[in-house]
Amino acid sequence: MMSVKSLLWRQILSAYCVIFLAAFSVSAQQDPNPDSLTPILISEPDSLRALANAPDKFGSGNFSKIKNRAFEPNSKVVLYVTNLDLMADEGANAFRVNVEDAQGRHYRFPVLDIQRLNGQEWIYALTVELRDILGFHTQTAAEGDVLVSVAWRGLASNRLRLGFGATGGTIKDDTGAAPSPFPKTPIKTSVNSEPPNAVGYLYSGDRTRFLEQATFGPTPALDERIRRIGLRIWLEEQFNAQYPTNPYPDFPLMPSTAPPDCNGNNTPPDPPDVPATCSRDRYTMYPVQNWFFKEAFYGNAQLKHRVAWALGQFWVISGVDTQQSSYMVAYHQLLSKNAFGNYRTLMNDITLNPGMGNYLDMVRSTRNNPNENFAREILQLFNIGLFMLNQDGTLQLDNNNQPIPTYDQETVNNFTKVFTGWQLCETTGASCPNRTPGAPNYKDPMLLNQNNHNVQAKTLLDYPNAVNKNIAANLNGNVEMQLALDNIFYHPNVAPFVSRILIQHLVTSDPTPAYVGRVAGVFNNNGSGVRGDLKAVVRQILLDPEARGNVKTDPNYGKLREPVQLATNLLRHFGVRSANPGTSQSDGYINPQVSSMGQNTFYSPTVFNFYSPDYVVPGPGLNGPEFNILTTGTAINRTNFVNTMVYSQIAGGSTNAPLGTSINLAEMQALAAADTTSNRLLDTLNTKMMHGTMTAQNKATIMTAVQALPSTDPLGRARAAIYLIATSSQYQVQR
Amino acid sequence: MKQDRREFIKKSSCALGMAAIATQVEHFGLMSALAQKTDDGMDFNPPSDYRALVCVFMAGGNDGNNTVIPNHSDASLSNYQSYAAARSAQGLALAQNTLLPISVPRMNNLTYGLNPNLGILPPSGTTIINNGIHELWAQGKMAIATNVGTLVAPMTRAQYQNGSIRRPFQLFSHSDQVSQYQGGRADTPVYTGWGGRVSDLRTAPDNPGGLIPMITSINGAQLFTAGNTTLPLAIASATTPLAQVLNPQGFNTTAASQARLAAFNQLRTQDLGANYIKAASHITDQAMIANQALGSNPQEVTVPFPTTTIGNQLKQVARIIKKRGDLAVNRQIFYVQIGSFDTHNNQIAGQGNLLAQFSQAVRSFNDEMIAQGASNNVTLFSMSDFSRTLNPAGVGAIVGSDHAWANHMFIIGGAVNGGNFYGVNTSNGTPYPTLTMNGPDDADSGSGARGRWIPTTSVEQYAATLARWYGLPEADMQTVFPNYNNFLGNTNLGFMQP
Repeated sequence: MMSVKSLLWRQILSAYCVIFLAAFSVSAQQDPNPDSLTPILISEPDSLRALANAPDKFGSGNFSKIKNRAFEPNSKVVLYVTNLDLMADEGANAFRVNVEDAQGRHYRFPVLDIQRLNGQEWIYALTVELRDILGFHTQTAAEGDVLVSVAWRGLASNRLRLGFGATGGTIKDDTGAAPSPFPKTPIKTSVNSEPPNAVGYLYSGDRTRFLEQATFGPTPALDERIRRIGLRIWLEEQFNAQYPTNPYPDFPLMPSTAPPDCNGNNTPPDPPDVPATCSRDRYTMYPVQNWFFKEAFYGNAQLKHRVAWALGQFWVISGVDTQQSSYMVAYHQLLSKNAFGNYRTLMNDITLNPGMGNYLDMVRSTRNNPNENFAREILQLFNIGLFMLNQDGTLQLDNNNQPIPTYDQETVNNFTKVFTGWQLCETTGASCPNRTPGAPNYKDPMLLNQNNHNVQAKTLLDYPNAVNKNIAANLNGNVEMQLALDNIFYHPNVAPFVSRILIQHLVTSDPTPAYVGRVAGVFNNNGSGVRGDLKAVVRQILLDPEARGNVKTDPNYGKLREPVQLATNLLRHFGVRSANPGTSQSDGYINPQVSSMGQNTFYSPTVFNFYSPDYVVPGPGLNGPEFNILTTGTAINRTNFVNTMVYSQIAGGSTNAPLGTSINLAEMQALAAADTTSNRLLDTLNTKMMHGTMTAQNKATIMTAVQALPSTDPLGRARAAIYLIATSSQYQVQR
Repeated sequence: MKQDRREFIKKSSCALGMAAIATQVEHFGLMSALAQKTDDGMDFNPPSDYRALVCVFMAGGNDGNNTVIPNHSDASLSNYQSYAAARSAQGLALAQNTLLPISVPRMNNLTYGLNPNLGILPPSGTTIINNGIHELWAQGKMAIATNVGTLVAPMTRAQYQNGSIRRPFQLFSHSDQVSQYQGGRADTPVYTGWGGRVSDLRTAPDNPGGLIPMITSINGAQLFTAGNTTLPLAIASATTPLAQVLNPQGFNTTAASQARLAAFNQLRTQDLGANYIKAASHITDQAMIANQALGSNPQEVTVPFPTTTIGNQLKQVARIIKKRGDLAVNRQIFYVQIGSFDTHNNQIAGQGNLLAQFSQAVRSFNDEMIAQGASNNVTLFSMSDFSRTLNPAGVGAIVGSDHAWANHMFIIGGAVNGGNFYGVNTSNGTPYPTLTMNGPDDADSGSGARGRWIPTTSVEQYAATLARWYGLPEADMQTVFPNYNNFLGNTNLGFMQP
């Protein structure tokens, strides 16, 4: 996969050598222009109708004869696209054809093939089947024009008409749409590059976008760092950064039944708790939550914190069951330790983790009384999912066009047997260093009791060249577990399954199969023959051309910021600190606010996390996991969180919030004071928060409200502007 | 309840708290459908009465085998002894003298038993505020639909085993079985719920001018409530007053504040070509419209509710029902949820506690509906992921059970033909399954069979009986339930009065 990546950069290099050299001349950094070309869908001459013909006419060369025709549903059609520059291996699955009908419903047509035209290599012929694959709406009646556009790497082409069953109908062309006729020579559109106003990585929009994906929010300091050293060196720095910056909470293991002096007894006379915060700190996730947010606000190893958070949102355990903070800390330590390690080690460590063992019942699953909870979820939720996937994450289909199950109940039963016989680490001696008499040991890995292990032969996952499909009888349970984890790890679904989820958490909710495939390829082989190298996977996710670029225009690109990211991003933009006057760091106590937005951190309601990776947004019919928790109620709570932070603060001085949390608006206030037109204020916020995507219309709307405040109130103006940006859907959706 | 276009626009722009912005209204699916219809000069003939369905989802898979139990010794059917034989050794059988008796006409008037936590509880632990739901059986206000589950088409054990009838996909998996229950379809994943699809079809005719969506969830976004063209209202439970659940804070009446509010609203009319932005804006729009309606004329319930999660959810539902006139709605669907039924361990205490919470909260809701004079207009029903294996998981105090299939559901309200079992007969000639591992109703086979009952009544049959009472025309049944025709002849289970 290294070769593909170097090919990518070589191709971009050749395409943009002029720009690249310009950048090179002022710095020695190695990141080229991140912007891909914007595809252009070719129209009929002097018309807003897509140039299109049947596949058998493809390449006939006589395009002037194709005119104004309609195509039957489910037929195949060739569309023509230019202004592309493909990597080796980049094919049909890098493209999406988005369709809107006269009723405003959205569809997606599958792209079956892409070829260059002989002798006119700057033209690409896209073979498309006129059949919706989103499946959200009943397919439109074939009775008139629909609008089609082509998206590639998050960039959308112009939209043109296509006769669907018939031509005509009531659909309206886009405002400002113009014909884009067949170019006789290559089109040379310059990509949207920025002036060389600084050394290093000069793409300011992409710097901010990158930091939204790789951290808990851009800060001026990080932006400056990346501007100087570029993305790749920054990634290497992060891979080696010490973690955590703030030490993990460290509370002792406690008995399952809380003792009277740790709030276990509420009937009078209730003995005082020792210390007074005993119950809160040991029997709730409070210290983990505050630590988590402090690390997000101030930690140096941002990328590891971010990836560990993503991993913990599909390898889920929850404070709903795992009641002690020390359990969750032991679990999170495994997530962070393995975030840049090998995925197979992560599988092993979590399988043996007592918190997971308790959460999904493996710790009480025995030969005679098996429990299938962990066996099912390690397949369904953590590693392979329900259906066989292609390497680009798309579903494999059988001869009847049905998805192919990855396993059945019998498989679950067999894995259940594999995972029997494990118990908490309670032996005296070196193997259980954290053992605490009287308290269950939820820190050290579980130990096998072979007597409780089911030693029958087992049949595990079957797949082409399956590893360890059959497990012989009478094996040691530990040996068997390793064989079974390998059986899962080498399943072909693991790479696309894990890659897609991580892309969704870091970059975009509905990645193209090509993007998933490129990341899965790295998962399968990091270039040195190693499978499961998460460092390489994360690098590929963040440097992929579908992730990078100053601006993304594909209407289906981006992701709703989950509550954690919305909160930390907003606070980090403006120097998050303790409550006013803010002379110290925040105490990190913002979980009540984040919880009200639908994400009670470390208390996922179920093993399915706060939201499903497969959640489909009603209306557009797109994958949008975080929309699973965006409701009328949480939408307003998000707005109210912004209001609290911009116009007020989270007060300090209480037991749970000794220091409080506020943001520092002095710089924005000074900008508003220095320029009574407020243009500089809005332009700065546009760069800082919107990476330059604020439209003239957005700006005019915000400006009206800003100027409704007198110029003598620069703080009020700064607040109004920040409130309006942060509450806007344009900001709440990370693009 | 006739309403013309001008009045409609006036109401909706008021609701936005700003001068009329027609562009804003334009992209509400619900609103534009209404505006369109009035434009065509059509009169609405909305229903003259009020009806509401309240779905209580018992998340995690409530163990039906310990919810409705044979309490008789009739040897021709599974009796208490057959139940105890399967569960008592591991400690999962409930003692017979603790069961709450119910007489069941459909079972030859044999006695069955409810879990003891569904009735009068000892005054310890949680605060007990009423007698629970057991009494409603004798009052004829509570029915039980038995052996209900996800099906693609009716299926015998032989057909299940030989694969001649298609099985629901991913049986025994939480997420998929929840989706099939809530989606009303078991052969393929769906993106909308049956509640949402009813809302798509019935909002315009039933709730013209409704100021909130037809569906309200007090438990966040759920598949059940998702429609193609309509969105649910999702709000916090009764710990937050209705006037506060959707209120954007920080605005006052000064010109500058109003200008900021106008800009806040205006931004949601921009960049709608980007689909995620449009979707987020749409949800906030819905919230802003509903906020105006919910914020006025507060109503409080008069019956005490337990302060549990489910109690607070049902209390919020009751408040909204009390405000139904202000909200201009004739038909409403509600979704509430009680979680943690996934009792792989510690089931006796865990499920018992949850059923007590369920029973207390539902009884309060029932009594509040009577107090509001709405008992005959509101029907509460239960759903759950699946039932659990008859064969226990583990042993002793920690004993639990694993994921299974067919389950028993409660239907409660004044319009219910209560005091009986409903459903399609199993192989034993009654609607209650045979409690035998590897027996005639078990999906499992062989010596390792654990007792996962094959449903005889589909989710569709159960839901269609409810939807028909709600007012969904027969012609629309197949739109809402795509596999409806697979169950023809048995699509009205009879537990609702006409």
